[in-house]
Amino acid sequence: MGFGQFLSSPEVKLRIVTYRDAFQDAAKVESLFGEEYERLSATILLDAKDITKLSIKENDTLILKNKSGSIVVKAVESGYEQPHPGTAYMVNSPWSNVLVPEEAGGTGVPAFKDFEVVASNSKGAKVTGIKDIV
Amino acid sequence: MDNDYYVCTGCALLCDDIGVEIEGGKLTKVHTACRKGVAFIKGCRHPLDSTVKGERTDVDLAVKEAASILKNAENPLIFGHANSSSGAQKIAIGIARRTNGYIDDTSSFCHGPTVEAIIESKLKTCTLDDVRHKADVLIFWGSDPANSHPRHMSRYSYFPRGKERQRGWEEDRTAITIDVRKSDTAEICGKNGLYQIPVKGDTEFMEALTSALSGKVPKTSYDFDKKRLLELAGILKKAKFGVIFAGLGMIYSLEDFEPLYRFMDKLNSVSSFHLIPMAGHYNMRGFNENLFKETGYINRVKFNGAEVLHGPEYSVVEALRKKEVDAALVIGADPLSSLPRSIVRYLEEIPLITIDPCQTLTSTKADVTIPCALVGVESGGAAIRMDGVEVELKPMVETDRLSDEDVMKRIMEEL
Amino acid sequence: MANVMEIYQLLPKTNCKECGKSTCMAFAVDLLARKFKVEDCAPLVREDKYRENYQKLSEMVTPVGDVTETGLIVHEDKCIGCGNCVVACPVNVAADPTGAGSGKAPTCDRIILKVEDGIVRAMNVQECRRFGENKILCVACIDTCPTKAIEFV
Repeated sequence: MGFGQFLSSPEVKLRIVTYRDAFQDAAKVESLFGEEYERLSATILLDAKDITKLSIKENDTLILKNKSGSIVVKAVESGYEQPHPGTAYMVNSPWSNVLVPEEAGGTGVPAFKDFEVVASNSKGAKVTGIKDIV
Repeated sequence: MDNDYYVCTGCALLCDDIGVEIEGGKLTKVHTACRKGVAFIKGCRHPLDSTVKGERTDVDLAVKEAASILKNAENPLIFGHANSSSGAQKIAIGIARRTNGYIDDTSSFCHGPTVEAIIESKLKTCTLDDVRHKADVLIFWGSDPANSHPRHMSRYSYFPRGKERQRGWEEDRTAITIDVRKSDTAEICGKNGLYQIPVKGDTEFMEALTSALSGKVPKTSYDFDKKRLLELAGILKKAKFGVIFAGLGMIYSLEDFEPLYRFMDKLNSVSSFHLIPMAGHYNMRGFNENLFKETGYINRVKFNGAEVLHGPEYSVVEALRKKEVDAALVIGADPLSSLPRSIVRYLEEIPLITIDPCQTLTSTKADVTIPCALVGVESGGAAIRMDGVEVELKPMVETDRLSDEDVMKRIMEEL
Repeated sequence: MANVMEIYQLLPKTNCKECGKSTCMAFAVDLLARKFKVEDCAPLVREDKYRENYQKLSEMVTPVGDVTETGLIVHEDKCIGCGNCVVACPVNVAADPTGAGSGKAPTCDRIILKVEDGIVRAMNVQECRRFGENKILCVACIDTCPTKAIEFV
């Protein structure tokens, strides 16, 4: 039992950068509604420091929210050599798209690859399913 | 092309050396295609049914219903097209014209500006075959082909031997990644092959490189190692045939293309550099070229009688956001999965038609769904590769589903 | 890729000899070479306090499946079928310069790596530079793999 449980779960502001993943793409083509696609999509890659800040363990679930919406995803340490506290990575998917801001400045191009969210411990909530998104 | 080979429509590389084994009309084995390609060729687990308002029906009725939705709409949106054959795209343009509709494709929020600049000759480009035979310096800028186009490096850019690149990748080619993280592509670019920049740092990096190429001290607000920048400029200068593979990482980061034009101009005054957009879907470039031939624009078009309107306000994103369309036909794309949730929610409020081989998030909300054959696997046609080269497609197996072109033809006839 | 020290660190380090080896280090060496399975360390499986290490080791030292005679393992779950190894392999280039060696579909059956159903497969292992006596420790297929799907044990 850590000290953390007596505090309200800390909120951490994160800048999300999205990327592509061949395995997740292949899973999507096979079954958009399948478990594999959810497993490979509903994940966030974090810097070790942010995992500590959030007072969670790897593979715990996090709530990510902003003005556009909110989702629950699994937290994983990125393992990147270069530390990236404050920035987290998500594969491009319907999950990340829940959080992409609607406002595109009239350009017609939303900020798919660079947006902000507030993350906090979901306290064991289940990862958002694809059917919950639509 | 050897006649026994097929084309993979899994991405815009359109690999044309795919072998298949077929037993009893079913694909049993796929040779040479990558994991993504094989998944695409073998098809989805949830094929789309022909339905009207959730009830199964025959295709004739679904087509009639689709046509009536389009006829009754004042401003229908005809969207998708990146995963459609060129034949289906051309009819889609006709349908938009006939119904005074909006027409746009996924390039609108993807590589549209890049393809436009290339079609208008504002950026020097080349084909992937040129890359294989000649390219010696490869820059993967904000792109990660190891994940987006798995065979890019083995088939064209880095590893194959080519006419003027006989000694292979170890000696004859230099691959460099400019990215915000160490991607899988960066992993194979070697120890000094990654130039890691901050998010949204692309414009400054480009300007710093342009300065370095002009012999000035390259400065960035994030203090990128000047020595490394000068080293990179040195590599670029010495290139005999350089290619920049521009990914969405770069494109989304640029406010406008002026820094890119200045960079390319500078590069081409000291060496020879080309740019290829890393288009994702197999025929996005095809749609851009087809619409350009018809209207002079590559995307974001609204027909108004004989008039053709164009601009960001006619983009799928702005049209949906401002709720300016009153019905939508989606073919060869899945906006409910690829666009921000807050924007596409509006599609659920208006009559929606989906044409696709597979169930998609969009099809789950559609009033009319019409299945079509999987292009390149069950039906033929043509498509345009990311570099602008047209590729003929032929079916691998037989199907009783209509081709995407035939579905569109039937809808057009009903109009 | 796992190295022997990383494996050793996760073992009980008690030198209990239950596996038949005199030290845990010796077991680690043989585990890396896939002469043993993780499960061959009985205390690791049996005792609860090692559970986390057991899990970590199982992920680190994936089961061999088809190890060829050159010790080549393709981790199928990591392979994206890009074919970089197929094109970079010097044996493939020599045997099929215009096909597999040029990034295209193979045109000859003497090659040692090709992509089938989206995953690389090894064959004709006797042609691999790592085969048999006086072998060359060629790493072309390892260095060119973006996902570290190929390993020699």
